[in-house]
Amino acid sequence: MAVTPSSLNQLIEALRVLPGVGPKSATRMAYHLLQRDQGGAVNLAHALEYAIATLKHCRHCNTFTEAEVCDICADEQRDHSKLCVVEMPTDLMMVEQTLAFHGLYFVLMGRLSPLDGIGPKDIALERLLTRASDGEVQEVVLATNFTVEGEATAHYLSEMLRARGLSVSRIARGLPVGGELEHVDPGTLAQALVERRHL
Amino acid sequence: MAVAKKPRRKALADTPRVDAQPALVLHQQPYRETSRLLDVFSRDHGRVAIVARGAQRPGSQARAVLLGFQPLLLSWFGAGELKTLHAAEWQGGIAQLAGLPLLCGFYLNELLQRLLPRDAPNPPLFAAYFEAIQALSLLPREPGAEVEPILRRFELALLSSLGYAPDWRITAEGQAVQPRQRYGFEPGSGLTPSGTRAGCPGEALLALAAGSLEPQWLLQVKPLMRQMIASLIGANPLHTRQLLIDLQRL
Repeated sequence: MAVTPSSLNQLIEALRVLPGVGPKSATRMAYHLLQRDQGGAVNLAHALEYAIATLKHCRHCNTFTEAEVCDICADEQRDHSKLCVVEMPTDLMMVEQTLAFHGLYFVLMGRLSPLDGIGPKDIALERLLTRASDGEVQEVVLATNFTVEGEATAHYLSEMLRARGLSVSRIARGLPVGGELEHVDPGTLAQALVERRHL
Repeated sequence: MAVAKKPRRKALADTPRVDAQPALVLHQQPYRETSRLLDVFSRDHGRVAIVARGAQRPGSQARAVLLGFQPLLLSWFGAGELKTLHAAEWQGGIAQLAGLPLLCGFYLNELLQRLLPRDAPNPPLFAAYFEAIQALSLLPREPGAEVEPILRRFELALLSSLGYAPDWRITAEGQAVQPRQRYGFEPGSGLTPSGTRAGCPGEALLALAAGSLEPQWLLQVKPLMRQMIASLIGANPLHTRQLLIDLQRL
């Protein structure tokens, strides 16, 4: 019986840390890298090593950055009285693309998920509290996802921040921009009716 | 709205199929590249594990339908332990939970995940769960909302439908429960007279035995329920209970 060399085995095992990659996919990836794309494999190894060595969390907003403080937090032009809380760095990028928010951010790097055993101690709540209580922040905007976990996180954060006298708001939910009632899904429309606002 | 997807395999006549089954999603997580793994509580088939193919794709219509605490009509097929979702239809009628009622909803889901075995149909418990979610959705979001009677009613339904509830009129030693005595719960034996003030008054137990689920009695059985549930779930504590405790400490 042919024995897989140990370095190959090690590579396959290492690839399995990726989400959604089982032993079969890991084996396929390993053979592809070694057989078809050795240059790519070297690049990947360097990029991983470089990222691990240089990336850290921004001292203010907790997102990934190479400097002590990220570019957004270091920008003096931004509105320091508003703090937008998001789950992940990708969410921050999306909000940033809207050009509708000029304040600063805080990235939780996760969400509360009681059924997965992810509690308040597993996300950066303590750091958010310190950040939001700096005296400059007037309003905290909660922009966690509108999933049940995101909503639970928003509730927990609002209780926590309001207990310290901070003003808290939540981004709105409802019909998409340009949405027609005829084509929107009934769950969204139902919630838009529940959360209708007075004019 | 129906999110229908043709099964990729040939539709085999003998593949078990379930059509338009009333159900709620207890929990969901990403599965493989673009799918989601659902833990579903259905009326006639109990807790079922179902894969929703493609539900994790951006723009998937299933995303807006497969929400927790929302009544759905689910259709699935498959002979194995893991079923494949065929269609999901949103039924409506229950506003999405938020605030404290939402966290309580998670507590109910965790209880079900921990105590209700897979593929064991339990229509009375499904009805109790549905009622509890509906009642939670009608509460205001502020703390102090009347969640306690709803939780106790569901815990009682859960314990009795799974066969864990003792006879509320008789102690472990076979004596009749006295209205003025207080009682605790001893795992493995049953109700025992309790000397401390923390025990549950006998009159509340007798009211439960008579089928009275009035809030005044339900509020009294909380310590007893806690002891009974703690003895069932074992060493791993409930995450949602810890979360509610943390929240109260803020």
